[in-house]
Amino acid sequence: MDEKFDCIIVGAGVAGLTAAMILARNNMKFLLIEKGEFPGSKNVSGGVIWGEDLSRLVPEYWHETDGGWDRYINHRRLTFIDEQSSFSIDFKSDHFNTPPYAGIVVLRSKFDRWLAGKVEEAIAESDFAMDSFIATNILVEEILMEKDKAVGIRTGDEKFYADSIILAEGVNNLLTRQAGLQNDYVPADHILTGVKEIIRYDQNVLEDRFQLNGLSGMSNEYVGFATRGVEGGGFLYTNRDTISIGLVLGLKDLRKKGLKPHDILSDFKAHPVIKDTIRGGEVVEYSAHVVSSGDKRIMPKKLYKDGLLVCGEAANLLMNAGKAIQGMDYAMRSGILAAESAIKARDAGDFSSHIMKGYQDALNNSYVMQDINNFQDAVHLLHNPVMYQKMPNLINHFGRNFFTIRNEPTKKAHAMFRESVSEHASWMDLIKIGIKGARSL
Amino acid sequence: MKFYVCIKQVPDVNAPLQIRDGELLQDRDRMILNAYDASAVEESLVLTEEHGGKVEVVMVGPDKARETLRKALAMGADNGTMILTDRPDLDSTAYSRILAAFFKDKDYDFICCGKQAQDTDAGLTGSMLAEQLELPYVSNAVGLNYENEKLIVRRQGDAGQEIIELPSPGLVTCSNDMNEPRIPNLKGIMQSKKKPVDSITPEDLGIDIGSIELSTNILGFEEMPERETGKKFEGDPDEIAREVARLLDQEAGLV
Amino acid sequence: MNTILTYISVSDGKIKRSSLEVLSKCRLEAEKNGLKTAALIVDENASSLAEKVRPYGPSEVYIVEGSEFKNHLNSPVLKAVSGAMNTIQPKVMAFASTENSKDILGALAANQNAPALPDMSEFELTDKGVKGKRPVMAAKIISRVEAVGDPVIISVRSGSYDLIESPSEPQIKKLDFTVTEKEIKTTIREILTAAGDKVDLSEAQTIVAAGRGVRDEEGRKLIDELATVLNAGIGASRALTESGVYDPSLQIGQTGKVVSPQLYIAVGISGAIQHTAGMANSKVIVAVNKDPDAPIFDITDYGIVGDLYKVLPPFIEELKKLKSN
Ligand SMILES: Cc1cc2nc3c(=O)[nH]c(=O)nc-3n(C[C@H](O)[C@H](O)[C@H](O)COP(=O)(O)OP(=O)(O)OC[C@H]3O[C@@H](n4cnc5c(N)ncnc54)[C@H](O)[C@@H]3O)c2cc1C
Ligand SMILES: Cc1cc2nc3c(=O)[nH]c(=O)nc-3n(C[C@H](O)[C@H](O)[C@H](O)COP(=O)(O)OP(=O)(O)OC[C@H]3O[C@@H](n4cnc5c(N)ncnc54)[C@H](O)[C@@H]3O)c2cc1C
Ligand SMILES: Nc1ncnc2c1ncn2[C@@H]1O[C@H](COP(=O)(O)O)[C@@H](O)[C@H]1O
Repeated sequence: MDEKFDCIIVGAGVAGLTAAMILARNNMKFLLIEKGEFPGSKNVSGGVIWGEDLSRLVPEYWHETDGGWDRYINHRRLTFIDEQSSFSIDFKSDHFNTPPYAGIVVLRSKFDRWLAGKVEEAIAESDFAMDSFIATNILVEEILMEKDKAVGIRTGDEKFYADSIILAEGVNNLLTRQAGLQNDYVPADHILTGVKEIIRYDQNVLEDRFQLNGLSGMSNEYVGFATRGVEGGGFLYTNRDTISIGLVLGLKDLRKKGLKPHDILSDFKAHPVIKDTIRGGEVVEYSAHVVSSGDKRIMPKKLYKDGLLVCGEAANLLMNAGKAIQGMDYAMRSGILAAESAIKARDAGDFSSHIMKGYQDALNNSYVMQDINNFQDAVHLLHNPVMYQKMPNLINHFGRNFFTIRNEPTKKAHAMFRESVSEHASWMDLIKIGIKGARSL
Repeated sequence: MKFYVCIKQVPDVNAPLQIRDGELLQDRDRMILNAYDASAVEESLVLTEEHGGKVEVVMVGPDKARETLRKALAMGADNGTMILTDRPDLDSTAYSRILAAFFKDKDYDFICCGKQAQDTDAGLTGSMLAEQLELPYVSNAVGLNYENEKLIVRRQGDAGQEIIELPSPGLVTCSNDMNEPRIPNLKGIMQSKKKPVDSITPEDLGIDIGSIELSTNILGFEEMPERETGKKFEGDPDEIAREVARLLDQEAGLV
Repeated sequence: MNTILTYISVSDGKIKRSSLEVLSKCRLEAEKNGLKTAALIVDENASSLAEKVRPYGPSEVYIVEGSEFKNHLNSPVLKAVSGAMNTIQPKVMAFASTENSKDILGALAANQNAPALPDMSEFELTDKGVKGKRPVMAAKIISRVEAVGDPVIISVRSGSYDLIESPSEPQIKKLDFTVTEKEIKTTIREILTAAGDKVDLSEAQTIVAAGRGVRDEEGRKLIDELATVLNAGIGASRALTESGVYDPSLQIGQTGKVVSPQLYIAVGISGAIQHTAGMANSKVIVAVNKDPDAPIFDITDYGIVGDLYKVLPPFIEELKKLKSN
């Protein structure tokens, strides 16, 4: 046996780094392994971490204005677009201006690396300053099992052992599958693909364009023509001197329609409304990444096993119900809970399912699983073609009439609405969506 | 046999670059070990693995560059020295002076440098250092061997290659054509944390870094003049091949 | 003190065109600044080469001759050039950027306590020294630089300046030179010359370069044929020099040679920046690659998307036809 750790974490994304932070603070001897050149090098995110968990990990992180985060969100917008128009729900509030912020925009290569630095600091202060590690550029190829208990990992011809193993490998969860916790087959209906560009501006131009003040930022989600009728949605977030703009698209629908994500993104950027919003910048990065759909049906039934815990998107923890994508905050919370279970197991000297199950219970009781359970219908609703095809057209048709003033008698709004409905959908569609919507949200 | 390898942390040239108001905005997150230095580390490891000996690495740079020094240790170097300075504008002359001061009272058989740093592409430091230390040197090595206490250096010249005997103590600058630097394995990474790293300052070597006046300065950066995007030909190979041949003749007059 | 001195690079008994380009530019700079232009030839048969630099207008040609220069070794060359600099006291010492000048540039700068600017793509004299431009970061960007001092040592990328004739009747001055065995320090054991290295790539007007896409004998034959039709030099990417398919001296790029021909044809080369660092300055660039998204197409004038095994035969045939007309 080479060397034994209290815990080995696979994957230095948000979930893995979070778990590592908790382990370091609790004097666990651990190894965090990342296949990328550095933490964050392989990670693609649109970029808003929602909620306040980050301040639990790095207290008062907001003082580090040159740290890992770009801007805090105080301005949110949800936009429905058809071919020419956009209709937005827009909310901006001073209420969001004080820390702890309710949402911060991050660029993952920067954020993950910064968080890894914080973990290194925590390691240095722990009892295992010289014996806990973050190792990058190492691919874990196998989870070593003994009598159905996870006991270690293999990379190349090296093997390392630990009392517990936390899988935080992200959406492409090969090891989770290998451990038998997830079906090998996930139907394409449940897989989405995210594409994203980072566009750079002069910082003053960016701040003027989006009415930013200091480090405030805005997030904008898009429904409708954004995706050329493909299931999914769009987003735009402001970073320091760049924006992240992108789409999340249903893989099956893409295939069926024979469209390429990048082409849809180009069309989206050429939309009259978007074009004006983003003009003048320089594209500095393009990336693509799979995203889980947040559909419970593809979640592993069990997120643990003897000696093993699964957290973050490896466990398919993700919510995409239209108003935001939540993946990083779920990764963070589940990482915290997984680490806490590993610590409990060490304290109890028992690494069996018996103790590990406590993780799943804690997760079920947390907002993560409660939201996933409560908003399943909203997730399905968003995947309803009426929602991403007909509704935006209808809304914009109505908007166009409503905001047009002619030198002739004006119709009442409800009459205009009737007209829009009969033009773009049917009352039946609306009623169905209305009922589903009312129930789901 | 004792090797010293001089290593430099450089920005990853594959990462996107940005120039604003003549300044190069470097992504501090995309700093790597200069590829030529990685080859120099690799080759000295191979030689000491075969003939016995030790490999020490030395770097002049800011504290943040330490992770790059660790990388060399994770590859297998025995220990390292960080010569700490935050001064960002130093040129090869300045670096070579600091390194010369460091080596003044050291014992070694060979000093290895990279043939050039990937960011400045200067290729000066190695031979500057050799001249100051009055060492024999060979540049642009593409192969190293050890025989009878001499390094047998295969050097890539303008047309052919020369095989040169370099006595100890000597200095050699390495091309990346000599090997594929190993990627540290997990064990190497773990061991690197426990390997000794000396941290010293140029002042410890008797150099007042603040008062170094540089004789070469960077005045600013500019974009490469962009090439106009040309034509792309897709379709039947026979047709497009003939068409481009004709265009080379008619448009460019190059046939 | 009142001279710009250009080092004339000699390889295989022939003067390298790139050093004459530097000499041409130095003469213009000298005239602009009221200085003299001089050339320095360090070679086994230096005297016989003096005549060859006359067309480019130096007022003096300094000669250092000796059997020590038969094969390149840095210590004798370094001693010869530093000795010449001590005697001539030039304001600027300029080299063409070649592997052999790179070999001594740093040591010479340290020896003369002079600032050095290597691999310039542009330069001019200032009242404090030299300023100009040099490509950095694998030639992705240009850095504007200055050197303050007297003398300043520079090297210049090939193809940066045109040859300009302006014949002169230079004085030929022979400099004394001796070097002891002890001073030479290193010994040459063997010289390996590239097989069939006929065309000097850094001077070639046309280059056909092969990359990993050229995967077998048949591919190499196509490259040979194409080069023959166009009377071109053959170059290669690191993928093929590393694997020993082509001689390492044919490598073009950051590690290899910088070239600037009139026509560069990249066959089966993806266009990694370390490769384009050495060829992006070519006048006309053609690429054959089956991947329409290969980065090489970002810099080509004529990009042929297709399998080289299908594209090259008709391409060669058509070129032959055009040639014979
Ligand atoms: C375009 C797009 C936009 C998004 N926008 C948002 C948003 O605005 N807000 C939000 O909260 N979420 C967003 N998400 C979702 C979010 O990115 C993910 O949910 C989140 O990154 C999951 O974190 P994680 O730590 O579980 O996994 P990841 O961040 O994917 O990290 C997993 C890590 O494990 C490593 N790894 C995998 N396998 C191995 C192995 N075998 N050995 C070693 N290392 C391994 C990977 O390299 C990776 O670094 C978005 C996603 C996409 C694609
Ligand atoms: C420090 C450093 C220095 C370097 N210096 C150099 C250097 O000086 N010179 C250099 O060249 N590289 C250099 N490299 C390496 C460089 O990064 C690339 O790896 C190398 O240039 C790739 O060579 P390639 O384009 O031939 O091969 P690849 O990148 O493998 O590309 C092969 C291309 O051929 C195409 N292809 C394949 N089959 C066919 C076919 N049948 N028909 C048409 N097209 C086909 C493919 O689509 C592909 O685009 C350096 C790297 C480093 C790290
Ligand atoms: N700051 C530094 N610290 C250690 N070695 C260096 C440093 N700068 C340059 N070198 C060495 O000198 C070589 C050539 O550098 P340069 O002259 O900048 O091209 C590098 O490959 C290193 O081996």
